[in-house]
Amino acid sequence: MVELKGAIALIGYGLAAIGPGIGIGLVVAAAISAMARQPEAAGMVRTTMFLGIAFTEALALIGFVLFFIA
Amino acid sequence: MEQLILAAGGCDPANDIICRPENVIELFQFEDNLFTIGPWGITRTVFLILLAMVIVVGLLFFGLRKKRMNPSKYGVTIESLMGFVRDDIATGIIGPEGVKYYPWLLSLFLFVLVGNLFEVTPLINFPITSRMAIAGSLSLLTWVIFVFVGFKKNGFGYVGALIWPTTVPIALRPLVGLIEFVSTFFLRPLTLAVRLFANMVAGHLMLTLLLVSGWVFMSSVGEIGVRALIGVPWFVFGLGIYVFEIVVAVLQAYIITLLSAVYVESSIHIEH
Repeated sequence: MVELKGAIALIGYGLAAIGPGIGIGLVVAAAISAMARQPEAAGMVRTTMFLGIAFTEALALIGFVLFFIA
Repeated sequence: MEQLILAAGGCDPANDIICRPENVIELFQFEDNLFTIGPWGITRTVFLILLAMVIVVGLLFFGLRKKRMNPSKYGVTIESLMGFVRDDIATGIIGPEGVKYYPWLLSLFLFVLVGNLFEVTPLINFPITSRMAIAGSLSLLTWVIFVFVGFKKNGFGYVGALIWPTTVPIALRPLVGLIEFVSTFFLRPLTLAVRLFANMVAGHLMLTLLLVSGWVFMSSVGEIGVRALIGVPWFVFGLGIYVFEIVVAVLQAYIITLLSAVYVESSIHIEH
């Protein structure tokens, strides 16, 4: 058997990053297509996009914290 | 330079392919006092906080010192920065009453922006917002403000609307209320602080790792010969990340200000 070494918290953080990664991708994709359809609304869409990214990121950030306190 | 030695400590360019700092915490903690004023020892972090404060106050003071019909280029820059925070963030998110929170949002934005840009400032190269104490205090202040505003504007209906949301079906209300309560009072300040902190820590670590590795490999070309070429991609990658980190620094300052405004807005208008 191969011996594995390292912190299991790293795997935990990797798992925690999957969902937010997909989520941020969806948010940005929707924002890009909205901006392409209506370039005049780009400013508003950009603000909302950052908000969406910030809320989606929250789970990855909790994973990041757990990585440190685990 | 001391930082470089610290980060490169224990690096063996003849066998490793990248230099790992031995103790990551040492890159963020400065125990030695630069100088002392009375009973207070001023470490590098504290000095940089004071420097950021002086820079922000100085920027605003010299930008707004004279009210002129045709402001100087510098005055226009400062005014457009302030106009951005006022129009796009304060009144844009909160509404007409957002002007009341504009001083707080502007000072938060400028302080975090200067603190973040210290990361890519030559000779400083340390983002003060990568210390949880600073990011945490700023988000705690935002928390105090939005909770206070919520109670002031809506009384105890503020908490009531959170734990018993009337817009969802009645069977789901306890569950949604619990989630809303925890996320508003505990997760909001936590994620606000950790978002800034984590981004800055990651950026600082990445820059240190790549640039120090590149430097150590390329400077030891006399001893390891052709292996020194390993340092070239590290250094080029590090310079790319350097540009990226400028974007991240500005973006994180914008996001923390934007989210503070959104939190205050959600405390004023509890109906949605």
